[in-house]
Amino acid sequence: MRVDKLIRWAIRIYLLLVFAFVFTPIVTSIIFSFNSDRFPTIPLGQFTLKWYQTVINDPGFWDAARTSVVVSICSAVLATFIGFCTAYTDFRYRFRFKGAYIALALLPPTVPLIILALGMLAWLSKFHASGQVWSIIIAHTVLCAPFAMGIIRLRLQQMDPDLESAAWNLGASEWRAMHSVVLPFASPAIVSAFCLTMAVSFDEFTVAWFVSGLNKTIPVAILEVLQGTVDPQINAIGSFVFMTSISLVIIAQLIFMRRSNRSTN
Amino acid sequence: MAKQKQLSRRQFIKTSTIATGALAAPMIFTTRKALAAPTEINMLGWYGTAEPDMVADFEAANNVKFVPKYYAGGDNMLAALAQNPPGTFDLIHTDAEYARLLIESDLVDELDPSNYPMDDLMHEDFMNFPGHWNDGKLYSLITRYGHLGVSYNKNAVTPEQAMSYNVFWDENLKGKVGHFDWHLPNLGEISLLNGNTDPGPFDISEDAWKAVQEKTLSLKPQIGGFFDFGGTFAGLKNSEMLAMVGIGDWVTGILERDGAPVSSVVPEEGGIQWTESYSIVSTSTKKDIVKKYLEYTMSPEGQVKSAQMLGYPGFAVTNSGRKLLNEVDPAEAKRSGQVDGNSNDPVELIKQGRIHYRDIPSRQSLEDWNDFWSEYKNA
Amino acid sequence: MIAMSFFLVKNYRMVEAFEFDNWIKMTGKDYFWDAYWYTIMLASLSATVTSLLAFPAAYGLAFKVSETTRRWAIFFLIIPFFTSYLVRTFSWYVILAESGVANSILGLVGLGPYTMLNTLFGTIVGYLTLTFPLVIILQTLSLANIDRSLIEAAQNLGAGRMRTIWSVTIPAARVGLIIGAVFCFILSFGDFVAPYYLGGSKPPTLPILIIDTTKAGQQWPRAAVVAVVMMLTLMAVAYTAISFAYRKKR
Repeated sequence: MRVDKLIRWAIRIYLLLVFAFVFTPIVTSIIFSFNSDRFPTIPLGQFTLKWYQTVINDPGFWDAARTSVVVSICSAVLATFIGFCTAYTDFRYRFRFKGAYIALALLPPTVPLIILALGMLAWLSKFHASGQVWSIIIAHTVLCAPFAMGIIRLRLQQMDPDLESAAWNLGASEWRAMHSVVLPFASPAIVSAFCLTMAVSFDEFTVAWFVSGLNKTIPVAILEVLQGTVDPQINAIGSFVFMTSISLVIIAQLIFMRRSNRSTN
Repeated sequence: MAKQKQLSRRQFIKTSTIATGALAAPMIFTTRKALAAPTEINMLGWYGTAEPDMVADFEAANNVKFVPKYYAGGDNMLAALAQNPPGTFDLIHTDAEYARLLIESDLVDELDPSNYPMDDLMHEDFMNFPGHWNDGKLYSLITRYGHLGVSYNKNAVTPEQAMSYNVFWDENLKGKVGHFDWHLPNLGEISLLNGNTDPGPFDISEDAWKAVQEKTLSLKPQIGGFFDFGGTFAGLKNSEMLAMVGIGDWVTGILERDGAPVSSVVPEEGGIQWTESYSIVSTSTKKDIVKKYLEYTMSPEGQVKSAQMLGYPGFAVTNSGRKLLNEVDPAEAKRSGQVDGNSNDPVELIKQGRIHYRDIPSRQSLEDWNDFWSEYKNA
Repeated sequence: MIAMSFFLVKNYRMVEAFEFDNWIKMTGKDYFWDAYWYTIMLASLSATVTSLLAFPAAYGLAFKVSETTRRWAIFFLIIPFFTSYLVRTFSWYVILAESGVANSILGLVGLGPYTMLNTLFGTIVGYLTLTFPLVIILQTLSLANIDRSLIEAAQNLGAGRMRTIWSVTIPAARVGLIIGAVFCFILSFGDFVAPYYLGGSKPPTLPILIIDTTKAGQQWPRAAVVAVVMMLTLMAVAYTAISFAYRKKR
């Protein structure tokens, strides 16, 4: 028992360390976003809000924020949907060239981003579709779908294939079986896939820079500041986005929790 | 249970609507503010060239709005220009090497030199700058320039030491010398150190090119890293790097204005000049207002803005621009040497023949230079 | 989906004229192969280190904490994705600099200063920043989905803790662990931010080489050569790993 406790504590401490590592750069960036010096060095200068003021007063930032939100949500929905379909096909059916099919589906993340970006740009401009918000959405969907597929496929792997057949045998239509057996089983993975793809899309800048034309997303705006002139605006943008997303996540969490509490009641 | 589920879903929607509303509210305000429907000028440029410090006055006076697309590297710029639908961009701000490519690809409009104070330019080279003209016609309008040489931390290197590129080989700087990660300025500086000044550091024979390669390779043990803009800034500021090859006042000037102990000089062996210009995209539908902006950039006020640009400093190209700069901001004029008769006056340096215009190699291919650069980084 | 990917490959050919010439030129360069092996080494190192470091965390999250804590933890691991990777990398820059936060703290206890930037260490920290949360999430998901009765059975049969982990838990979660490592490998292999900003591109990796090539004046076809080699490598790695993951089950 004592050993058990020890292990439990060791693991807790380790988890704390892990989170410390993951959050160190974020915390640092938040601290420096309030620092008056233009370049982040130690010792700190004075406390200031001017970087936030600059960012908030910049209409370009709000445009970028709006574009980012729209793009990440749309691409996450599409990517998760496509990911689910691909994963389900892989799980359910066996057909010739399935290997090739899966390989193709997994292709996008293996292509270096800058090349993908150029390819995308060329492809989209063929259809006169470059430089639009939805060109970023298309590009990000292609990029993110494999991630969604990976996660969902993982979950389906754990499902007993006979479960679905059982539903059919009991007279459920394919759609019905899908709706009441497969989807509920895969739902945690679908939610995770949605969050992850949204996050990936929200943070992607190489492809976005090329295909976005004049519609900036937030990471593209950050990249521009970083490559042109480094100033704590980027920390302010980063922190601002961080605060917003963390509050949204907490709100979502609380709702989820209340819901699960209710259903257990 | 189903009902509860629905209820909470409704609640979820409600909450998220409120959250989105809270997020969107300031956006609506800002869009409304911008609703006076100004003409939008879409510009491809280096970072900072369409920031408020540069364009706010012009925007207010002419009811226009600059929508910049900042690029990093001329090849990105060309890709963005070529692949976006025609008419996406109106105005391009770029370096002479790439202005030349724009002209060769027939992407930009001819300009009428009589619209601009060409005789007010500070050096005769500027009036007929290579890369801006083609067949005796002007296509790209010079706006600012800067010099590349030795950039150093004043606490580690003396101004006397910095007067030669040999300082990069100094024992005390081992592991503390950084490269700006682009082959042209770096190899150009080494070429100058090797004495390739006539006709210039980019016009060298095969033997001289071999010698440049050898000399460069001998620098490798001193090198702490290869950086882009951001890394260069941070490295110099943090004293992570004490000397940098391939940059100049356009980087250190920003840090210097901020009070950091760094500086740049053009050493005895000579320096390299970058030259930026504006071009009007042929497919633009707003050429009149863009032309007006070009005229504005050549006015004394426009030139002072360019010299003071927050993004990165550049020298004024007109006499009247320099004059006004000395009146309104003598400190910046002095810091950057833009005072008549100063020993580090950039125009004086050009007249002395110590400045060479950055160019693509003429006797080797650009690929060869780049190949060597990759090889060097790997060595 | 097929159409999408297919178009991608096709348009790829559209843009990049595959001239044999470019292939010979590019693959004939020593620095290309140096960068190739170095990148593979880095990505493998990153996948190994990340997987090893992530496993105890994922194990803890999967078995040693409550359902609620786990859900919170996963959400907190997703959050970092929403603060730009670029911003996070740049924060590391400040932390790891010779006059930076880490060295100041180490200095207080009389250690250092250590050079951490522009080294292998810096690069790995950057890769970890990129991939760590993702790998923990993937591992946690797969561990949490293991049939608990398997583990109980092993324990009832008298297997020790380590033995249980080694012969029951890990094999049961194998698919997830391997997919985590593969994603980590792919992401590290293709990322240029970490080796560039934190590793000082000494020596450069393939993604840096691509960026370099494009700076040589419209050399996209040669960049494409590098890209195709990268893709083939990644496909091979992913294929090997996945077939290994599914080997026994099929």
